[in-house]
Amino acid sequence: MNIMKSDLAHEPSDERPVGEPQPDRSVHRRRVSRRTWLAGGFAAGVAGGVAAGLAQRWWSASARQGSGARTPVFIARHQRYDGDLVRTIRDGLSACGFSASSVRGRRVLLKPNLVEPLRDCPQMTTHPAVVLAAAELFRSWGATVVVGEGPGHLRDTELALVESGMGEALASARLPLADLNYEDVAWRPNRGRHSKLAGFWFPRSVVEADLIVSLPKMKTHHWVGVTAAMKNMYGTIPGCKYGWPKNVLHYQGIPQTVCDINASLPPTIAIVDAIDCMEGDGPIMGTLKAMGLILVSTCPTAVDATVCRLMQVDPWAVPYLALADGRLGPLAEQQIEQRGEPWQPLAQPFEILDKPHLKNLVRHRGVLVS
Amino acid sequence: MPASREDVPLRKSSWATDFCLPWTGAAVNWLDLTVARISGQPVLGYLPGATPAAEPTALAALALAGHAQVQAATAAAQWLAEQQTASGAVGVRAGESQPGWPTSLAVVAWNAVDRRRWETSVRRAVDWLLSHRGKSIPRSEHFGHNSELVGWAYAENTHSWVEPTALAVLALAADGRRDEPALGEAVTLLLDRQLPSGGWNYGNTYVLGQLIRPHLQPTGLALLALAAAGVSGNAVAHSVDWLSAQLGPRTPVQSLAWSLLGLRAQGRLPVEADGWLETAGEALLNGTKASGWAAAPQASSAPSYRLALLALAAKGWPR
Repeated sequence: MNIMKSDLAHEPSDERPVGEPQPDRSVHRRRVSRRTWLAGGFAAGVAGGVAAGLAQRWWSASARQGSGARTPVFIARHQRYDGDLVRTIRDGLSACGFSASSVRGRRVLLKPNLVEPLRDCPQMTTHPAVVLAAAELFRSWGATVVVGEGPGHLRDTELALVESGMGEALASARLPLADLNYEDVAWRPNRGRHSKLAGFWFPRSVVEADLIVSLPKMKTHHWVGVTAAMKNMYGTIPGCKYGWPKNVLHYQGIPQTVCDINASLPPTIAIVDAIDCMEGDGPIMGTLKAMGLILVSTCPTAVDATVCRLMQVDPWAVPYLALADGRLGPLAEQQIEQRGEPWQPLAQPFEILDKPHLKNLVRHRGVLVS
Repeated sequence: MPASREDVPLRKSSWATDFCLPWTGAAVNWLDLTVARISGQPVLGYLPGATPAAEPTALAALALAGHAQVQAATAAAQWLAEQQTASGAVGVRAGESQPGWPTSLAVVAWNAVDRRRWETSVRRAVDWLLSHRGKSIPRSEHFGHNSELVGWAYAENTHSWVEPTALAVLALAADGRRDEPALGEAVTLLLDRQLPSGGWNYGNTYVLGQLIRPHLQPTGLALLALAAAGVSGNAVAHSVDWLSAQLGPRTPVQSLAWSLLGLRAQGRLPVEADGWLETAGEALLNGTKASGWAAAPQASSAPSYRLALLALAAKGWPR
């Protein structure tokens, strides 16, 4: 593969809508030729993705071929942050057909949710223990692991690391952090095409990754109802290009850009921290809801559909999931193969704000709060 | 201009007392060593080994100008001028034309280093700023702030937020345009986005009826901008009180630096400020645990960028 030609072939056109970041063609061309990391990263990413056959691409291929294969989603119950999370995650990945050979020698980017951490609100952010467990497992499988995040509301990433406890945890495991808000960027075309954005500026660590692991917190969301594996990928978008908050995406539509980002990323799988969750006015101001669960899947869309069911929320009422259904993964229960624990006995009603735009989520049950 | 050299090790004589400049062996404090380090490499990136970027370089220029390092400050300001596009904007990094939110910082840096030398750059940049303001949104019950007020955005054709608006106020004030109507509206916007506690965050007050939390860095920047615009009063004093109560020896570097810049501009620099800066600076220079977490190897931003901010905070924003 001629990487430089391939990269340049995906340069953005001049037909971008108003409001879209305007990439500088000459600069991009120069950087591609100058920076071997981009070329090497892209090559390895393509090779790794094809060789491993990971994540959404698996689902897409099987769906197109009409194989009828169901997408696995694993649930583990009775989970604790001081428990054996490495084993849980290993069991979950194995149950989803994912093994050490999938990542040996590959670059894995772990993406927790640190949108606006606060020491007194641990239900807002991915617990460091889940990140450390995932890192330990992938390292033991021979992968090179980096933890990356671009907090959406804070320009001071160090503050986010301190408040979440993630900085101390990463230091203890000598895990490198990729500051996705400030890293150098590379342009990738929008493969979702739900919004008018022609493409995205992604940080270096994102385009270099052979596999991205979305490590979200299971939370309600005051605009789109639910946030988990797919919405967490907003944090791969660099604030220095899109703002704090990432307002360029908001103007293009949250559901549309959630789908577009997920469609445009390298292969992505999900490990959901659903031990201590957030209900009510999520994703920032909500209250703690203890569930004691870990969810794992090679398909972020399918795992998010299961998250909805665990919250007693209609997945088709979550706008970005409705858009993703059939394109990025399945929502229908009969298309998802539940492994580990069945979701039905574990589901609990999550409080949803009593707002008109959220009523469809829980029309069938009606547990609303002001 | 040489590439960023974030990984160059620093030699120290004895930890917690003083350091030695490598070429003289003379004992110096963290600030002298920081200024020497930035003088040697005034064009900075956000991260170790990264492409040079406008914000870190503008802050380096301001720090160096404040510490009378004219030649190095000039080099940083000249680099910023070389990044200015035909539109007048200065993008985030070398070769990136958009978004242009760092333009404000370049204006402040050019004015501080040598106003006459970059007069044309300043004029073009200010023209760009005045023609590229944020987007207003019709008032909505969803949001507590007055979304029809116009300040500045991070990216074109998006809403106005606190930090880019504060930076633009600083730019216009540095250029002597305190009577500019856009500056007046920006000040109104900043005061409108102030939270009941006195702090600011990125720019939301209430969302769907829920009060949103304040953060340190935007509060420091807002106070700095209001001081530059000559705004005072009870509302500002309330914010100063809130911010003063939040700081301590473990406050992360960026938040600490912008907070102290704001408080100093308001005439309320904490008596502990020098000690906090020294602790943070020495930790960064020594690569040890900084103000809450390990500075290396997982630094969220390059030591030189953060050192430049600390050096600037030690001197204060240019008047």
